[in-house]
Amino acid sequence: MNLEKVIFSFFMILALTLNFGFFYGDVANPDHHDIYELFAVVVINLIATVLKFGDRSQLGAMLLASSLVAVVQLISAVLVWTFAVHIQQVGLTPAVMATIISLSGGALLANIISVILLMMETAMLRR
Amino acid sequence: MDNVIPLIIRSLRIPFLLLIGVYSVAVLGLVLIPGVDDEGNTWHMGFFHAFYFVSYTATTIGYGEVPYEFTNAQRLWVLTTIYSTVISWFYTLGKIIALMQNKAFIDAVAVSRFKKDIKTLHEPFYLICGLGETGKAIVTSLTEEHCRAVIVEKEKENLNKLNIDELKEYVPSIIGDACDPYMLELAGITHPMCRGVIAVTASDKTNLKIAISSKLLHPDIKVACRSEFKDTEENMLSFGTDYIINPYESFADTFSMLIHSPSLHLIHDWLTDAPDTKLNDPIYLNKGPWILCGYGRFGREIYKHLKAKNIPTVIIDPDEKVKADFDLLAEINQFITGTGTDHNTLNKAGAATAAGIVAGSDNDSNNLSIIMTALAINPEIFVIARQNKHNNRILYHSSTQRNASPDAAITRIVMHPREIIARKVRAFFLTPLLDNFLYLAKQQDEEWANITISRLSAVIGDSRPHTWSVTINPASSPTIVQAIKFGRTVEMSHLTQDPGNRQLKLRCIPLLLIRDHEEILLPDEDLELKLDDKILFCGTPAVKRNMHWTLNVMSSLNYVMSLKDEPESYLWRLFRFYRNRSEHRKLKR
Repeated sequence: MNLEKVIFSFFMILALTLNFGFFYGDVANPDHHDIYELFAVVVINLIATVLKFGDRSQLGAMLLASSLVAVVQLISAVLVWTFAVHIQQVGLTPAVMATIISLSGGALLANIISVILLMMETAMLRR
Repeated sequence: MDNVIPLIIRSLRIPFLLLIGVYSVAVLGLVLIPGVDDEGNTWHMGFFHAFYFVSYTATTIGYGEVPYEFTNAQRLWVLTTIYSTVISWFYTLGKIIALMQNKAFIDAVAVSRFKKDIKTLHEPFYLICGLGETGKAIVTSLTEEHCRAVIVEKEKENLNKLNIDELKEYVPSIIGDACDPYMLELAGITHPMCRGVIAVTASDKTNLKIAISSKLLHPDIKVACRSEFKDTEENMLSFGTDYIINPYESFADTFSMLIHSPSLHLIHDWLTDAPDTKLNDPIYLNKGPWILCGYGRFGREIYKHLKAKNIPTVIIDPDEKVKADFDLLAEINQFITGTGTDHNTLNKAGAATAAGIVAGSDNDSNNLSIIMTALAINPEIFVIARQNKHNNRILYHSSTQRNASPDAAITRIVMHPREIIARKVRAFFLTPLLDNFLYLAKQQDEEWANITISRLSAVIGDSRPHTWSVTINPASSPTIVQAIKFGRTVEMSHLTQDPGNRQLKLRCIPLLLIRDHEEILLPDEDLELKLDDKILFCGTPAVKRNMHWTLNVMSSLNYVMSLKDEPESYLWRLFRFYRNRSEHRKLKR
């Protein structure tokens, strides 16, 4: 067992599960989506991205790219939240919430791809 | 850049992880710890404000406690935040600075910059392998002519010594072993603009390897090699190396010109000398026997020419084996065992009555000693010295200048291998016709050489002659090609006329014209030019620029050929057409 692999996989799967937890629920209802969970998703995704730095294989490049996509999506969601609450001060209206959730849905897709790639890599190693 | 960015992000992985971790804990703490607003209500900081606060605190900017004054619990948390985030930043910055000083990183940056330089080269360039004294002389003379060059050199010190900023063109350079084909490829040997490879490293073996690699990687380019041994030379020839320069052989060749005809030697000297050196006066040798000290690679080449001219020669060499070999040849010339550095040996060899002495051993101290002793015995003796190390130049200079009055005829020549090779390479790559000319000139007699010298000096005066070639083809001389296609007769004299003033002649002379396989030495002024003629001119750089007008601008050619000035733009042609027609009508009436 390789500790590095454990940590690497842990953060990638955690990024996916947290992302799903935030995404799950009524798309327009702010009560179904917790801000602390969004914070955790952003932080874990950032960590997962940095962990993927420096791997020069083709698979490594794909992993890094999918993580970068997730981070870009999540940061956009955070920016939308910040704009709505602090800058324009319209509050979390159903329309705003729907935007945030669909952005995090995109990030969820990218995280799913990441985990599939990770599983493929593991399967190839077994062979 | 394919090496640099992964190197940066790989080594900054841990600092980045640390920053993300510390920031997220600090932000989360600030959000969770309750504060009190200005009206005494419990208040929670949002993520947005918390991130803002941590960002300016971590970077030690510190705007203070916003939007409300903090409670003691918050201040306690901020204390831990300050220390952990600031220390994380210091650690990250330290890592970045360490990376900048990392040798692997610096090399990767240098290689990627070099690659970019080569990629963006859109002009013809020459690849120079080995930046010893010879390499430096070649780079300087190529850049003087505004030719691009690329350098591959093993030693960093040698690269530092060449002041690349002082050259007239930007010269990309890389530290690496030119034996390595990957290095040559990196330096652009397969680049479509690469015109030639010049292998002038100190080792014959390396030069041989470079020549083979170049011929395999890019068969079309020209390869010039330095070689000091006969067997490497033959090996290089076997796979088609275009130009092999042996400094000893080259010098001996020049020396043979000197004993054959001083004027010819002078022509050779004038035309091949580097552009920034002074013009020499002709050198005249006295008749009489010669002394040859050192019968090695250099001595043998010189001896070949002395023997061919039937000049009695005494050979001095310390090696008994060399003497045995020489005796086998059953020569009429005398061989003395010794170094030639002492009075006895030189007196025995007849230094007092000799016309000249060659100090040709591979040891500079011995050569200097030979010169000094010989000049002490016979101040009139002509000295030829072989200089082995470039930094001994001052010693050779002062030893050969001793007892010589400034206006006396030159009686001393020093042979520098590096200058000989640099001259040859320059002539070969920049004015390929010059080599043909010199070859033909060598077969002419003294009288021809004298006439040529007087013609050259009449045109050029005291300035350094500059040679250039013109080919009658659409790329090099579009106007001449067009005129010939119109059926006009263009003569050599049209090219040598001043396009600024028809009455004047440009100060240049055509040295050689090559038509198919025919070579015409000093072609006449009224010779008619044909397509694909190659002409070698000699003049000053300013004259070359003037000649460009005739070669490239139709109205200039029309002017020197005394034809009418034709308008070049469409509107003017139209205008001319109508004016001519109306004049025609007036005439009819």
